[in-house]
Amino acid sequence: MRRALTRSAVASAFMRSFLIQGSWNYHTMLGSGFAFSMLPALKSLYGSEPDAMDAAVQRHLEHFNAHPYLAGVALGAALKLEAEGADPELVRRFKLAVRGPLGSLGDGLVWAAWLPGASVLALALYWMGLPGWWAAAVFLVVYNVGHIGLRFWGFRVGLSEGQLVGRRLERANLARWTERLKGGVALLVGLLVGALLAGDGGLAASGVLWTVLAACAFLAGLIIGHRAWRPAAVTVVAAITILAAVGALG
Amino acid sequence: MSIVLYRVDERLIHGQVVIGWGHQLRPDRYIVVDDELSASEWEQDLYRLGSGDVDVLFSTADEARDRLPEWQASKLRSILLTRETSTMRRLAEGRLMDGEHVNLGGLRHGPGRAEVLTYLHLNDDDVRDLEAMAAAGVDVTARDLPDAHKVSLETLSKSRWKSSS
Repeated sequence: MRRALTRSAVASAFMRSFLIQGSWNYHTMLGSGFAFSMLPALKSLYGSEPDAMDAAVQRHLEHFNAHPYLAGVALGAALKLEAEGADPELVRRFKLAVRGPLGSLGDGLVWAAWLPGASVLALALYWMGLPGWWAAAVFLVVYNVGHIGLRFWGFRVGLSEGQLVGRRLERANLARWTERLKGGVALLVGLLVGALLAGDGGLAASGVLWTVLAACAFLAGLIIGHRAWRPAAVTVVAAITILAAVGALG
Repeated sequence: MSIVLYRVDERLIHGQVVIGWGHQLRPDRYIVVDDELSASEWEQDLYRLGSGDVDVLFSTADEARDRLPEWQASKLRSILLTRETSTMRRLAEGRLMDGEHVNLGGLRHGPGRAEVLTYLHLNDDDVRDLEAMAAAGVDVTARDLPDAHKVSLETLSKSRWKSSS
């Protein structure tokens, strides 16, 4: 009979998951990082059976890819499956199915929403008069609270749900959070750029030419913007246009 | 014609398909044809997570053969995906896909597969499947993303012959 996962093996897998990209390569991508993170747990499960241990390490060395912050979902679930003595084929199929969504959900949530959001927030605070190093500190703290929180949540959800984690992720609706965040960031960017343009040294004294240019930019945004990210593009460009117009008239 | 893309890609619904092809083709649904997956609910849940707001339909190869004419005539724009060349070949049998294009988008893993393009590895069975599709009236080409260079089946067969000899 196989031993259960120890608390320290689980904690160690989570801590090691911060290094999951440490040996990133084009061939297996996160594969070796994934196996590295699983190693203490695999030792506690298969330590007394060298052949089973070799096979387990090999199956986790295989190609794997995901967003690094959400890779913990797969890692937690793989730990649960290994501890339950699941069929290796099931583990393999789980990792194949989960990598795509963990990549796209993470890219949207972190690279396209959270990172620019935390950056714009810090820029806005700097513009409002916060000293530069304070703004940088706010960025680092805000960004990493989300970053580490997401890693921790993902790892726990994976560990508790195993291969059924899809349902739980569906309920969490990360995509909707991503859209909300992007909307908020777009509004912030629009206000910030608008305020800069309307302020001293901006467009306040520049006259009609700038208003015409801004209107052209708005039209271009309407026509080209739909290829990318329409609501956000329109919000940004509309805010700039309105404030530039106000600046020019005022 | 309302299947806007037939694609063989072992990753099925993932970034290249959803962002790369999806943004350009604007599908109303993805149809995943795979016998194993259509019997596995938890795997379907995972693949669905990657599709954004677009519906995903899972089907066995047999069911897909029955429904292919309906999908081709439908007003809904579909992207049809398989993990294996053999599944796509089964759909094409009996000239069900006469005049259609099949896009090879990503195969890496599998016994005896040799690299033909960075994203495409083929074994002898794959090549036979592709040739059978071509014989059934299908235009088979490889292209990972819509803006990428399109590679014909002849070129693929030649470079596979070189890499395996």
